[in-house]
Amino acid sequence: MSTVVLLLSAAATLLVGAVLSLAVAHRRHGAGWVAVAAMGGAAVLAWVVVLRTFSAGPDPAVTLLGVPGLGAGLTLAVDGLSAVFLAIAATIGVLTTLFAVEYLDRYPSDSVAKYYPLLLLLFVGIVGVVSTQDLFFFLVFWELMTVTSYFLVVFEGESRAAHQAGLKYFVMNQAATLGMVAAALVLWREGGSFHFETLRPALERLLVREPWLGHGVLLLFFVGFATKAGILPMGAWLPHAYPAAPTSATAAFAGAMSKLGIYGLVRVFLTLVPVSSAMTAWGWVIALAGTASLFVGTLTALKQDDAKRLMSFHVVGQVGYMFLGVGVGLVLLPSNPWLGSLAVSAGIFHLLNNALYKTALFLGAGAVHTRTGTRSLNAMGGLGPLMPWTAGAALVGSLAIAGVPPLNGFASKWLLYATGILGGRGSPLLVILVLVAMFISLVTLASFLKYYGSAFLGPPAENRASGGGADGPPGGRPAPAPSRGRPPMGDVGPLLLLPQGVLTAGCVLVGLFPWVPLGAIQEGVVGVLAQVDPYGAAGGIPPESLGSHPALGLALGEAGLALWAPLPAALALGLFALLVYFGLQRAAGAEVRQVPVWVCGEEEDPAALRYGSGSFYLPFKHAFRGVYPTVRVQPPPFPSPLRRALNPDRWLYLPLAGWVVRVSRAVARTHVGVPQVYLLWIVLGAAAVVAVVLLSFG
Amino acid sequence: MLRTLLLLVLVLPVAGAVLAGLLRPAAIRAAAVAASFLAACLAGWAVAAVHPGSYEVHLGSLPWLPGGGGQGIFGFLLDPLASVLLLVATGIGFLTVLFSTQYLTEKNRDHAVAAGSQGRYYFWLLTFLASMVGLATAPNFLQFFLFWELTTLCSWALISFYRSEESLRAGFKAMLLTHSGGVFFLLALLVLFTSTGSFGFDALARLDPGPRGWVFFFLMVAAWAKAAQVPFHTWLPDAMAAPTPVSAYLHAASMVKAGVFLMARAVAGVWDVPAPWGAVLAVMALVTMLVALSFYFVQDDLKRLLAYSTIAHLGYVLLGVALGALGSEVGFRGGVLHILCHGFGKATLFLSVGAVAYVTGTRSIRSLGGVARSMPLTAAAFFVGLLAVTGIPPFAGFWSKFMILAGALQLPAPLGPAILVLVLGESLVAFGWMLHVGQKVFFGLRTPAAQVNSDPPPAMSGALLVLMAGCLLAPLLGIPLVRLLGG
Amino acid sequence: MNASWGNLLLALVNAALVLLLSPLVEGLLRKGKAFVHSRRGPPIFQPYLDLFKLLGKEDLRTSNDLFYRAAPSLSLASVLLLAALVPMGAAPPLGFAGDIVVVIYVAAMSAVLLILVAYGSGSPYAFVGGSREMMVLLAVEPVVAVTLVVGAMKSGSLATAGILEWNAAHGPAISMILAGVALFLALQAQAGKLPFDIPEAEQEVMGGPLVEQSGPRLALLRWTLWAKQLVFAFLLVELFFPWPRTGWWIVDLPLALVKVLLVLALVALVDVVNPRLRVDQAMGYFGRVAVSSLAALAFAVIGM
Repeated sequence: MSTVVLLLSAAATLLVGAVLSLAVAHRRHGAGWVAVAAMGGAAVLAWVVVLRTFSAGPDPAVTLLGVPGLGAGLTLAVDGLSAVFLAIAATIGVLTTLFAVEYLDRYPSDSVAKYYPLLLLLFVGIVGVVSTQDLFFFLVFWELMTVTSYFLVVFEGESRAAHQAGLKYFVMNQAATLGMVAAALVLWREGGSFHFETLRPALERLLVREPWLGHGVLLLFFVGFATKAGILPMGAWLPHAYPAAPTSATAAFAGAMSKLGIYGLVRVFLTLVPVSSAMTAWGWVIALAGTASLFVGTLTALKQDDAKRLMSFHVVGQVGYMFLGVGVGLVLLPSNPWLGSLAVSAGIFHLLNNALYKTALFLGAGAVHTRTGTRSLNAMGGLGPLMPWTAGAALVGSLAIAGVPPLNGFASKWLLYATGILGGRGSPLLVILVLVAMFISLVTLASFLKYYGSAFLGPPAENRASGGGADGPPGGRPAPAPSRGRPPMGDVGPLLLLPQGVLTAGCVLVGLFPWVPLGAIQEGVVGVLAQVDPYGAAGGIPPESLGSHPALGLALGEAGLALWAPLPAALALGLFALLVYFGLQRAAGAEVRQVPVWVCGEEEDPAALRYGSGSFYLPFKHAFRGVYPTVRVQPPPFPSPLRRALNPDRWLYLPLAGWVVRVSRAVARTHVGVPQVYLLWIVLGAAAVVAVVLLSFG
Repeated sequence: MLRTLLLLVLVLPVAGAVLAGLLRPAAIRAAAVAASFLAACLAGWAVAAVHPGSYEVHLGSLPWLPGGGGQGIFGFLLDPLASVLLLVATGIGFLTVLFSTQYLTEKNRDHAVAAGSQGRYYFWLLTFLASMVGLATAPNFLQFFLFWELTTLCSWALISFYRSEESLRAGFKAMLLTHSGGVFFLLALLVLFTSTGSFGFDALARLDPGPRGWVFFFLMVAAWAKAAQVPFHTWLPDAMAAPTPVSAYLHAASMVKAGVFLMARAVAGVWDVPAPWGAVLAVMALVTMLVALSFYFVQDDLKRLLAYSTIAHLGYVLLGVALGALGSEVGFRGGVLHILCHGFGKATLFLSVGAVAYVTGTRSIRSLGGVARSMPLTAAAFFVGLLAVTGIPPFAGFWSKFMILAGALQLPAPLGPAILVLVLGESLVAFGWMLHVGQKVFFGLRTPAAQVNSDPPPAMSGALLVLMAGCLLAPLLGIPLVRLLGG
Repeated sequence: MNASWGNLLLALVNAALVLLLSPLVEGLLRKGKAFVHSRRGPPIFQPYLDLFKLLGKEDLRTSNDLFYRAAPSLSLASVLLLAALVPMGAAPPLGFAGDIVVVIYVAAMSAVLLILVAYGSGSPYAFVGGSREMMVLLAVEPVVAVTLVVGAMKSGSLATAGILEWNAAHGPAISMILAGVALFLALQAQAGKLPFDIPEAEQEVMGGPLVEQSGPRLALLRWTLWAKQLVFAFLLVELFFPWPRTGWWIVDLPLALVKVLLVLALVALVDVVNPRLRVDQAMGYFGRVAVSSLAALAFAVIGM
């Protein structure tokens, strides 16, 4: 079966699943399983496409459906770049749908008919976006994603916040898309078609002949993709919309949907922009935007006390890393194709890693939400012993996002920093950006340590809510598992744990074997470059561009300019840890005793002594308090004279009608019913006629 | 064969109208549905049979009219352009009739209708349907004008259907304004006939450029009045006093489209409109769009909001037609396609608002909220219609708007880019506001007015379902037709 | 693969060296501080005795989760891994496994584990301490990053061995000296010395992260800190002040050790003569240091 047939079957599976899940929507779990089955089937097909693409090379593009007169056609093809995104989306899709089956029980008053069908349609859009080679249909699928995800954001029927967030989301994204429509049209006018292959020379001509128009087109694309991906300030919708959606949908957005902003960015700026100074210039724009976003987004995330909002701001921050990677790559590509392609790969690799850990973290937050009924970190605490598996997944996810080696988040950050620093010998500003990114990586760490610490560690917070320590156990004793007014504690069910587990395992495995996905990504990037610029940029990339170290690691260049071998490092760490544990910690056979927390002998309710999430890092947060200004935009008032002028009823038609009525009244007054008067009129009239005739002919 | 088919399409609704005057209420409904359904089917058949060519037949002549003897006074012209309007008129006509069968009953909480007055309603509605068929398939300006005035008459009767003070006034106002436009149409006819001795669409091309410009201008004024464009836009919002199906059908999908259809005919007849007049048409279309947009924000009545949206979208169609007059075929095609796409989208919106009013008894945006909870289908229809009208892919409006925009970019700067920017801006603001209103009405906590039980009865729901499908599939129908248009 | 097994063995040697030497170095520093105070001070081998005693004492735990149990060992192990990544008289045994970026991140691991231990213990003092530890880390780590990146910029390689070779071969450069000074300032905080022992601050938060740690756990966490200061001192002298370099391990190691002791003596001196800063003061201080160290970067860019 060819790629196109597989893709179409995947889309058909999703559509059939959408219809079926709509039909059985009255059975909540039934509809969920239908959706899981459809998503699973589609994911298998998508993975077949991915594996075929990487093993046998991309199939030739096939045009299915032409729009006559516009030069647009539904051209489907999957190259290495698309395949990477297809694989990510397929995996995330299945896992988040699986999570949703039980999670949506949280919303008993909202029908799942407005969840699963839309979710499946969303993934139709995602498959379409990554596999079409035609800008027109790219935009069509792009908007399909926006529409369906909007309805997922406003899923919770009675939440006003969700509706406001949804409106903001849809309108901002719509604005961005309209900009891209304009850009697409300008290119179409130049090239006569929407096919990517014709857009490239069109843009090239435009950049030469009318540079400002060409750069305007690129600006519109940049804004469009940055909006979807969540780059500030265009991504200001994101911290509102993500927390508003059900967590299973948020995870799908974070893992799959908004990642396509990066896909679009890479697709347009890598394949449409000629490898020239224009590419470097836009590389700078993208890199700077990414750095600004990661700086502001992550520092703002640090201040959040709502678990999902915290993570949403981190989405903004993490997307900044991806933009930084892609931007650094574009800056370097014209001068150093090898490093440039690696930096682009680093951005995409970070995206993959982010899809794994960020989805896991969102799902973890959702699991906590189902158990505690709150998303406020101030109201949580001590969940670790009660929800050990969720806590474990959250810990791995937190460490991965913070870039603790040897987890996956570190691998991509390492590559990003390495390419940036090595490339920075020619352009020192890159080094500054890398340093900012390194600093923000620590802020991410701080933020997730806060999240993990205040949700899973420390004393439970529930007793405080139920009236201080009066009825609690005497001070210092760890509080018992809370029971009042809440579902019995304990970890969430296996359906909610399995997706988290798979993603967490993914974080560890990708961290230990980074060259497997990274190799595929690099192959995709180089493949795309070789297609559009076989002798220029792609010629400068050695075939084995990513040195794979004999000792199972990554090395840049023959001489090993930068090195990261996760397996030996992990092995050494594990070995040292075992040696230290058995050789030192347990060597003397010290006795172990469980004791309550010691608070200087005071008898206090542990819950009252909790260190609330708002208290973390106060001086630091204070130092960066102004980074995310809130701006309120008021529409200008409509001038009332203009309002009157626009309504001709008031100054034209009604006065005119009134005048007509008055005139006819005046005429009517002559109608008096007295024959003599009528006779007089006749005589006068006749005289007038005679007078006129005489005057005319006389 | 085709002649019979087209005659049947015209005669069936007339027969239905006549029967509506004679039968008992229950039978009236059945007859009306049957007549409109058959007409729609036959129209579809006829369009399919003619596609991709065109068919013209003349059936009668006026021997006393000098020069007019050779050409028919009455006949059919079924070309792609006519097909588009014919499909809209009969298709949405049938769905409107179907919707009306349950909307116009005593159960309507917004406006209960006694069974006795239904004969009158269906008589006018089916007469209107027939006159739209005649108008769409008119082979010359004369027949066009006759049916044009007939639709005005039907519109007056239907707007005033409830016979309240407000509706009588609105009907009268609509009649006056559209008819005063009709006077200009007559003027154009006179100039055309005295100069060329013909009423044919192609006669325009035989005019000298000077008179041609004037004829074009007169037709333009007529079209503005009919299509509620600035400065004649004030009658349409008031016409919302009509029963909702009438608003959906006459004042969104078909009658107002007759105005823009006239301009499309005129442009397609010549393809050589003096550029200044084309520019005037385009600029007025833009002005209309923006003026209509400015009224969105102060509306509380859902139907009035939709009326202003209709005005703006007729502006879109006229813009497309104007682009055609200025030399862009893609723009023209987009404009014509928008007749179809907007017809489905706006009819969906109106009928879903009708369904809301039917169940809750109010159309006030302020007093509605959380309707989606009890009326999921209606809510779905509203949002599908909204997305279709505002041009969100993959729904219908996107395709036509995109083609209009593409056409705009084919014009030289500064007009082309200016149109692009203004249209995109209008699209975004209109979309944002409509979405805001949709959220207000359908999401959130249920207001007292919205404490109802369920979606409307099956006939109404069925019509909504078909229209929703139409909102998605209209381009599939329309693009093969409009691609045949061109100079 | 054979090479890497051999390297792993060498790494063990490195680790053992650090493990054994670090209490001694700490003992010397205490002696030095006592000298400044005009005290006699504890015996030089007192740290060994402390550790030995703690390892056998009862382990009082407020939490029993798996990670909490393992964290102190992991923490020490991470510093030992760091030791294998940093040159000490010879090329780092695991140099092939990690460059300066890895060094920066591995160096932060022990702090991360300490903070997790602190939060895990549930004591409010530990929470305060952990939060402060994180803020100090936030302040110091950028300085470390800037200085190491200066090395990478100069040498064109991110590998620690590469930077070392370049610096040894090409002699002192202004940028490298400046970076070395900045790294020295950061070392003060990395070693948890005054005026930057804000997280522990016995008088304020009773040891902060360590308040609930006892017995072997406390021993390992202390050991972690001492080992870390030693490794960091090695990093400083080897990358930024590698001269003279003979190339013979047997000569270079003692030389480096002497330099390390000198550096740490300076650290101790600063520790003795300064009062503790508030955490916001410390952050401001390191913020300024980080910005000033950008000057080193600027020098590196213009080739000095």
